[in-house]
Amino acid sequence: MSQATIATGFTQDAFDAFVAECDEPGWMTDLRRDALQRFLALPLPDRQNEEWMRTDIRTLHLDRYGLPNEPGDDVPRPQGLLRRGVELAGHVETLDGYLQSAEFDRKWAEQGVVFGSLPRLIAEHGDKLKPYMYQALDPGYDKFSALHAAFWTSGTLLYVPRGVMVDEPLYALSAMTNGGVDLGHTLVILEDGATATLLAETSHADEDAAGFHCGGVELHVGPRANLRYVNLQNWGSKTWHFAHQKGRVGQDAGIQWTIGALGGKLAKVNQHVALVGRGATAQVNGIMFTEGKQHLCYHTLQHHEAPECRSDLLYKGALQDRSRIVWRGMIKVDPGAQKTDGYQRNDNLILNREARADSIPGLEIEADDVRCTHGATSGKVDEEQIFYCQTRGLSRKEAVRTIVTGFFQQVSDRITIESVREALAEAISLRIKEFE
Amino acid sequence: MTEFLPVAKVGELSDPGKVTLEVDDEIVVLFLVDGEYFCIDDVCTHDNGPLGEGTLDDHAIACPRHGAKFDIRTGAALTMPATRATRTHEVKVEGETIFVKLAQP
Repeated sequence: MSQATIATGFTQDAFDAFVAECDEPGWMTDLRRDALQRFLALPLPDRQNEEWMRTDIRTLHLDRYGLPNEPGDDVPRPQGLLRRGVELAGHVETLDGYLQSAEFDRKWAEQGVVFGSLPRLIAEHGDKLKPYMYQALDPGYDKFSALHAAFWTSGTLLYVPRGVMVDEPLYALSAMTNGGVDLGHTLVILEDGATATLLAETSHADEDAAGFHCGGVELHVGPRANLRYVNLQNWGSKTWHFAHQKGRVGQDAGIQWTIGALGGKLAKVNQHVALVGRGATAQVNGIMFTEGKQHLCYHTLQHHEAPECRSDLLYKGALQDRSRIVWRGMIKVDPGAQKTDGYQRNDNLILNREARADSIPGLEIEADDVRCTHGATSGKVDEEQIFYCQTRGLSRKEAVRTIVTGFFQQVSDRITIESVREALAEAISLRIKEFE
Repeated sequence: MTEFLPVAKVGELSDPGKVTLEVDDEIVVLFLVDGEYFCIDDVCTHDNGPLGEGTLDDHAIACPRHGAKFDIRTGAALTMPATRATRTHEVKVEGETIFVKLAQP
């Protein structure tokens, strides 16, 4: 039995009581106060707004949610998928935002790497974090970004100093009880020449778990640094998921950012990669699988702010039942960002006729010496391919599973971490149903 | 299994008239035309437009975004750009209460 979230809503009183208990630098509280005023002033997004016109949140009753309560000892502790068989440099696990366990290999700490629970570490390393915290995200972007900036209660910090190459992955699990709330913030800072891999995932108490997540991710990749970041969203099927995520990639630095989106009732995510230094590269991979009445909406932005940068986005989605995926992607090239090489592609495999996919790629180019291309496809499973598989002895379900696995192979091949490939393949394989 | 759920009282709608309602986590539109009640999803199958904000003409509702029309009795798409029906839901009146039973997912 999970503890119910107290339905106080995200109010001024709830905020005042919360910040009175926070052990954090004054600048962080000031930032929260400013965000709270924006949150209280902003309406929920309007469906006249292009960004929200395909995503209906009228059944979200924000006043039914509030700051999370500490889960009791008797609630189940959900497990993650990504850490199986992986030798980790450290991990952080939370339940409804409350820290459950944290571990970090001393050998990396001795080299100056900082990893662990963000609320704990911000008290200790506040001055070091001030130049980064909320420098990538805009708290005033919409009501959800303001809510998160004002009320975030948990999260993960990874700081890797100049030149340190962390060659074992770090792991963060954010789990939620049924009816729980998670307001986690991820902050990653890689200084000049640093290297790290962070595997982050969400998990649920049970498949049908309800809940509310409003999160933020900030990735600061310094010059010549390299970050591999995996973010698997695997909430229960009645969970609302709102997130603003942004990576800033410096000169000659690289980011490989992989999204897995499997869970949630409705997800609205803004994923933004800003290439801010000359020669920066970004590879963005997305795997989405939806079922039931799920609605996943991802808005991606590849923003080329500096010259000679390369970005390559590949999102693949498979849909069944009455589910829906909306992907709206933009490559934006600033006037000075000559020699840009930008690509984005979204493919959707629609497994039955009630499902729907919307792919809306876009280009906004203000430089005149660039190569920017995009593509999108949506289609059903080819009956001839199914027939061929059946002639080789596969049942229809096995044939569809094989074809779906093959569909995702292109993006799976780009993911260099074996545990991530296997976890995603297994999770999707278990979800595939049989349709005539 | 879905069941009939009370959604409104007789007399709350003018005839002809419509009201947008939240029923068991779904948004639907309830219509009253010529003394008969009808209920459909508040979803234009073209691009998810809110049919409840559209114009009702006899038994046809027009999506406010691009003008696609739907028959409120059957959910059928009557005009482009919509080509697929929107879902309909059963309605019944008992006493002064109007009940809606959501279609199976």
